[in-house]
Order: sequence, then C-alpha cells, then structure tokens
Amino acid sequence: MSNSIPFNLDPPGTYIYTGEMATKGYKLTRFGLSLRRPDNREKFLADEDAYMRAAGLSDEEIALVKARDWTGLLQAGGHLQAMLKVAATLGQNLWHIGAHNAEMEVEELMRLCPRKVNALPGGED
Amino acid sequence: MAKIIGGFAISHTPSMGMEYDKGMANGFSPHWQPWFDGTRPMKDWLARMNPDRMVIVYNDHLNHFDFDAYPTLAIGIAPEFRQADEGWGLRPFPSLVGDVDLGWHLTNKLVRDGGFDLTVCQDLAIDHGIYSWMPYLKDTPWDTPIVPIAINMVRHPIPTSQRLYNFGKSIRAAIESFPSDERILVVATGGMSHQISGARFGIANEKLDRYFLSKLKSYVQELVDLPQEELMRLGGTEAAELAIWFAMRGALTDNIDEVYSYYTFPAITGCGVIAFEEKG
Repeated sequence: MSNSIPFNLDPPGTYIYTGEMATKGYKLTRFGLSLRRPDNREKFLADEDAYMRAAGLSDEEIALVKARDWTGLLQAGGHLQAMLKVAATLGQNLWHIGAHNAEMEVEELMRLCPRKVNALPGGED
Repeated sequence: MAKIIGGFAISHTPSMGMEYDKGMANGFSPHWQPWFDGTRPMKDWLARMNPDRMVIVYNDHLNHFDFDAYPTLAIGIAPEFRQADEGWGLRPFPSLVGDVDLGWHLTNKLVRDGGFDLTVCQDLAIDHGIYSWMPYLKDTPWDTPIVPIAINMVRHPIPTSQRLYNFGKSIRAAIESFPSDERILVVATGGMSHQISGARFGIANEKLDRYFLSKLKSYVQELVDLPQEELMRLGGTEAAELAIWFAMRGALTDNIDEVYSYYTFPAITGCGVIAFEEKG
C-alpha cells in the first residue's frame, strides 16, 4: 500500500463498524474488552490459548490473535477499540495495528503520519 | 434559574493523555509541544469563566460500556466518576465529581420534554474522552462538578448530526429550567479528522478541520447538513465524532463571541479546540 489516500469508505482503506460486523465479531470484541481488567491481562499472558478458548473464540479467531493479524481481526468483526486492548496487553500499540492495516513497517507509517490530504465537502470524488 | 455562560469543544486521544504525562515528567515531545502550548490559553479562559458546573458531551471507546449493552445516548448520574482502565492501567488522576441533582433534572427534562430517551448510568467509568484533556485544562482538585453525557460513536448507526444539534437545544432548555443560580458551561469532545484503522490510517485533513472551525459559530446549519459519510470520507471514519460538537453548539444561542480557537496535527489526529462565550 502506497501513501495515496483514497477518498472513499471502501475496504481495505476503511472498515466501517456496522451492526453486521458487531454480530460477526461479538465474541472477539468481548474477549478484547475483557482485557480492561488487569487480572485478565495476567491470565491471558500466562496462557493465551487457554484464555481464548475459555472466551469461546473459534480456532480461526485464535489463530488470528496468535498471528497478531490485526487486519484479519478487524475483518472478522473485532472492534478496533477492543483489538487495541489485545495489542496493548501484548506490548504493541495502535501503530502496530495501523501499520498492519496499511501494509507498512511501523517506522514507515510513523514517518508518513500525519498523512496530509486537503479536501472540502464535495471535493476529490 | 441556571444559566449557560458558554461552551467549548476539544479533541481527545489516548496519546494526548500519555504525552501529557510524559511531557510533565520529562518535557514535551516536539510533535506535541504545539498542542499543549496552543491549549494553554484555554486553561486560563476556563479559570476565568469559573463555571459552577460543566455538562460534558463525549464518547466512550468501549472502556465502560461493551456490546452486551451499548447505549446510543447515556447520562452519568453519580457523586463521582472513576477513571476507566483502557487496557494499559490508570493515569495518576482523581475521580471526577458529579452533580446528581443536575443529572436527574436534565434526565427528567430531556426524556419527558425533549424526547431524548437517555440511558441512565449510576456508575460510569470515564475514559480518555474526558481524561485526556482535563488534566491540562484544569488543575486538581477537580472540584467543578460535571454531568457526563455519552454518545455512541463506536458502532453504526450513530446519531445524526441534526439529532445531536437538536439534543444540544434540548440541553439548553433543560439547563434553563434548573432551579438554581448556577453558571454552567457546556462542553463537547471528539474529532477532528482522523482514522485509526484500515489502510487510510493516519489521514489528516487540515483544510476540512479549519473549514469546520470557521463555520461552527455562524454557519453551523451548513455543517449539520453535511452527510456524516462526507465528513468520514474526507476526514476519516472518526471524523464523525465532530457531530458531538453540534450538541455543544446547539446548547448555545447565536448571540455568542468566539473567544479562542487553535488547531494542529500532533501525530495521527487533527486536534482542535474552540471556545464560545454567551454575550447575554
């Protein structure tokens, strides 16, 4: 992915979090939000697989987390704010998610940001 | 009766809070120094306005609520609101003081007269939506009671811009029927241009953000009439949070002075602030 920014709301540029996504990713999101609690963060770090199985995640979802496949997790309906808690627990942050989404190294994305565009309503169709 | 003395809107981000804490300990990073310098006059203004209460319209980022029950519009009514653990621990700041009487009054008026069916939260943990900027706008102890109102911005459908603008007008009516002589400030927080997922991560549309700031005082209806999809298309998905600003603007009259505004891009989020004072 280059630094060109498309002026549309289509994937992979943008993932809109709809009701359909929320239903699809309900358990993933619930798992991510469970990590708001420090004791759960400890349990997850102690045994990722066991924690995720207990959270009711599917094998596919567990594999996505194990691979730190942030893009796949968002596509599977994990809400960004919930996946961010997973990333933070694993010592990563928003930049890692963004870089994975933009198919860049973190350093490259940080160098490019803010990715400036200049357009007013009705423009850059 | 209580009186609205003005309002302000300000961006929020988790990094804003973390950078503030780091900056206070070791000096601000060059990326963030302009924002903390640029918002310093807001702190002085807020101290000078010295409101008795603040009604703060913000959005939760799945830090208190979850999708078992995620309210579209919710009001916090409690003596205090603790800080939410967002997944990386708490920052060294106290709880926020609430105003139960004003909270129930607003709820009664908004539900019965305004047609806004709020979810009432008698226990509400508050995230960076308020905690990221409060520490540099107000010294502790935070003794100005607040009434927080949370708007769903994390899962579509989100409320329309017109709905939030009308919500602001109803907040005004509700405050003006509160039997007290309190001077109240209405605050909105969210936006400006940003997108924190997808390949468009980091989009930054300064032209759009400055356009928005320039129109908010005198041409707000033009902004309200913009489809939210257009704000998102040009400014990123989270630019939709700018709709929250309409609740603040709607709570003010047209007889206002714009007393301050500032805008910059610290990292991946367009950060803006704007303050209005009622002339009356």
